[in-house]
Amino acid sequence: MSTTPPIAIVEEIPNDRQRRRGERTTHIRGSRPGFIVYAVLTVVFISAAFPLWWSFIIGSGDASSLRERPWWPGGNFLDNALAVVSNPAVNFWAALWNSIYSSFLIAASVVITSTLAGWAFAKLRFLGGPALLAFVVATMAVPQQLGVVPLYILFSDLGWTGTIGAIIVPALTSAFGVFWMTQYLRQAVPNELIEAARVDGASMIRTFWTVGVPAARPAAAMLFLFIFVGAWNNFFWPFIVLDRQNPTLPVALSLLQSNYFVDYSIVLAGVVLATIPLLLLFIFAGRQLVSGIMAGAVKG
Amino acid sequence: MRTSRRTIAATIAGAATLALVVTGCSAGGDTSNEKVTLTLATFNDFGYTDELLAEFTAETGIEVIHNKAATSNDARANYFQKLGNSGLADVEAVEIDWFTEAMQYSDLLEPVAADIKGRWLDWKEAAATDAAGNLIAYGTDIGPQGICYRSDLFAAAGLPTDRAEVATLFDGDWDNFFTIGAQYTAATGKPFIDSANSVLQGIVNQYELAYENPDGSIIATTNPDIEAAYKAVVEKAIPISAYSGQWSEDWFASMASGEFAAMLCPGWMLGVISGNAPDIKGWDIADAFPGGGGNWGGSYLTVPKNGAHVKEASELAAWLTSPETQLKAFANAGTFPSQVEALASDELAGATNEYFNNAPTGEILTDRANAITVATFKGPKYFQFHDALQNAVTRVFDGLEDEQTSWNNWVTEVSAF
Amino acid sequence: MSTASLKSPKSVRVISFSHRMSRWDLKLSPYLYISPFFLMFLVVGLFPIIFTAVISFQDWDLVRGSGKFVGFDQYIWILQQPHFWTALRNTFSIFLLSTIPQLALAIFIAAMLDRNIRAKTFWRMGVLLPFVVAPVAVGLIFNVVFADNFGLINGFLTDIGLPAIQWHKEPFWSHVAIATMVNYRWTGYNTLILLASMQAVNREYYEAATVDGAGPFRQFLYITLPSLRPTLIFVVITATIGGLQIFDEPRVFDQFGRGGAGQQWLTITLYLYDIGWGQWNFGRAAAMAWILFVIILLIGLLNLLITRTLVRDEGSRIAKPSRRARKELSR
Repeated sequence: MSTTPPIAIVEEIPNDRQRRRGERTTHIRGSRPGFIVYAVLTVVFISAAFPLWWSFIIGSGDASSLRERPWWPGGNFLDNALAVVSNPAVNFWAALWNSIYSSFLIAASVVITSTLAGWAFAKLRFLGGPALLAFVVATMAVPQQLGVVPLYILFSDLGWTGTIGAIIVPALTSAFGVFWMTQYLRQAVPNELIEAARVDGASMIRTFWTVGVPAARPAAAMLFLFIFVGAWNNFFWPFIVLDRQNPTLPVALSLLQSNYFVDYSIVLAGVVLATIPLLLLFIFAGRQLVSGIMAGAVKG
Repeated sequence: MRTSRRTIAATIAGAATLALVVTGCSAGGDTSNEKVTLTLATFNDFGYTDELLAEFTAETGIEVIHNKAATSNDARANYFQKLGNSGLADVEAVEIDWFTEAMQYSDLLEPVAADIKGRWLDWKEAAATDAAGNLIAYGTDIGPQGICYRSDLFAAAGLPTDRAEVATLFDGDWDNFFTIGAQYTAATGKPFIDSANSVLQGIVNQYELAYENPDGSIIATTNPDIEAAYKAVVEKAIPISAYSGQWSEDWFASMASGEFAAMLCPGWMLGVISGNAPDIKGWDIADAFPGGGGNWGGSYLTVPKNGAHVKEASELAAWLTSPETQLKAFANAGTFPSQVEALASDELAGATNEYFNNAPTGEILTDRANAITVATFKGPKYFQFHDALQNAVTRVFDGLEDEQTSWNNWVTEVSAF
Repeated sequence: MSTASLKSPKSVRVISFSHRMSRWDLKLSPYLYISPFFLMFLVVGLFPIIFTAVISFQDWDLVRGSGKFVGFDQYIWILQQPHFWTALRNTFSIFLLSTIPQLALAIFIAAMLDRNIRAKTFWRMGVLLPFVVAPVAVGLIFNVVFADNFGLINGFLTDIGLPAIQWHKEPFWSHVAIATMVNYRWTGYNTLILLASMQAVNREYYEAATVDGAGPFRQFLYITLPSLRPTLIFVVITATIGGLQIFDEPRVFDQFGRGGAGQQWLTITLYLYDIGWGQWNFGRAAAMAWILFVIILLIGLLNLLITRTLVRDEGSRIAKPSRRARKELSR
């Protein structure tokens, strides 16, 4: 990948020169976008935020709200939220804590193993590399609906059923994560940087630390977020392998439902509560999407 | 600095994972010999409140932890995943829908003590007795059906509204039922009954044999009764039904809106109606059922043999399904007793339901339960066959296929089972 | 052009210890890097896959945990089922209806978000909201929207005099509804993947191209897209794999979760699940999983080839100078 711009470097700020000459100024890409962009983004945002907003509306109503379909929230959200949190069958705080730390550990582990493996597949040449990568990607194509059966046998034999470890261990690695970091690092890390570091005498691991890890930051943040959310919302495996006394959040909240009659205002209040920690994570991950992260490293 | 933060995070993650792995290894249970704690697993609402279970603890000193799955389907997946392994609760509830599958593994369930046999209605017990003669499940509730109706909508169509008169009206066979329904639909232009497939189950549940013989052979496609049931439903029930099946979003919505005037009502349906249509005033229930009597639904409690406290678990199951306890559960959740003594009790006779116009539901449902003469034999694949037949009815209802094509497709489909 | 090519003219070949170490470092360390992933994968990832393969040749009983070897019988049974071919048709239909609009929309929105907008985090993370709200809520919403009689869309259509759409009866419309649910859930996800990669593109290229007079669209075609090639390959492959395995959305589309009375929206994974967890025939379900695997491999390879040819190599990502700029340069 070439690092120098292919056109002759302009020394002055182009707009400035043009302005002095009285010409129409061109917009540099870094300048603020116009109204249309914001309009499009607003439409996108409204449609994206709608489920959460709607959940809040119904969650602040009562049992008949789902049928009546009001447009504005009622006043019952705190009452309903309290009903969720204090419901003895739901075990809310234990479930919340279990979900938080299990999702965190899973996401952290996936990011670490995927970044390491992705670095190797993307930037290091070794025997069997392409074949192994193809194998990893191919494993994603095997449907997972039956996976619960052998996993349960395995964990039951180990005596780990009912523990959060049984949720964490099967999810510590992700083929998706490896594939993602591989493709991202392929694209985002110029080979010249690595060669420069190697010429400076850095070992492989040092190169990884000083070049790979910083470059991987945005992708790692996204991966962390996706894996965290996936682990957070996972239902079937935790349902099978955990006790009701020691659940994760989706399993606990599912107890608010039943076959015959469901008070959806309570259920959706629970949904809103379960989404709040994820929103906090959004803020952290979003800040990692920084542009030009490698620009400074490449200059000169 | 970036690198040090990453290092710290990595170390924490690694250490914590290790710690959890170690904890996982040493996870066991409470191994004290003094206090036994049992786990009870149910779904939906069996009426086993914490107060009720506390009574058991007071009597026997055994603690009970009550786990509830949200839906019967979740409970079923959980049950069969663990039945051959470990991890089931000490007492597990099984719904009639998947009970026939559980019967295939009756050797893995602890038989009921001989001294409480005869406690339940004979057909309820017979369904839970395996080929070797072991009774391997404790009956909880049954679903005797009456006819729920909207007296206001009946009045508008010129039909009687008084409970006794409606009962006389429907006291007959299915053809009588269809005729009255057709009258209603002609008079008002609206559907009479909520769903065609509820009629299908009503009819099929009155046959001795449905899709399989007790010896295991399949008679689904050759049984003339099944074909007759299909024809009756398609030709006579579909024109007067609002929907093909139940439990859809639309179906719940129309319970409140007056789209249909009557439903086949087992005891557990009463709570569904009152819960989903709280503002409607006209619902009532009549002591009648086409063809006499019919049962829809019901559950059992089972005690897996590989549990840690089988003896105590059997005690709990026996206690929960005793006539006295079942009556209390009925008061809590409307689960109608299957125990003979409970059916004869005064408490049951005196039970009324305010939502349903203060109908004496205890009396009505007891009458309906006593009217049940036939308990259909259900083999392990019963619900596969039945679901496929319901799909066939739905295809005709939706206009996708005509009567004969849909039947032929059903025959092809089930021949491959 | 790279600095690394400037080596001292005559380097003496001394094989020092550190040099030897660095040679081993070069050879072995890749394997060390991939080993954390592979070690854990071998235990918890590979085991279920092998298990699925083994029981696909058996008539397997879940409860007793035992099975009888039946060779390819399960595979043959599946290929003879009309439902399988219906499910295949449905799967492809939903796949096309969902993947193509989703990716197009994701690229478009990511390009919007790549700009220097105010309140970046807010806009960017907002698109992911559909992905994080619990499936039960999203399922509820879409059931309200797509209900045949009392649904929002049909209510609107009948209000303006158009006939209602039979979402739960017609196969095509059920696919549209399900594809809408899928797109809704996953577009934001793909948008952020593409955005993360777009952020890694050096801003100087864009500045230089702007100076040259290339507009945003040209810049997008000639700078952004080629730089994104590895990510686009990633997105296409994961979207293919995911799209052919769509399960959750068809499952919650009606109250039974079995793909419709006439199998109108039965997908392969839903059929697989019904045979495994509904009929308890895990041997057959496993065989279906492997048939689907082969199908996914084939389609995945096809899509990979298409993407590789469509998205040109980095070599041609240089924005062609406009005529005015060329005149300036040659002045």
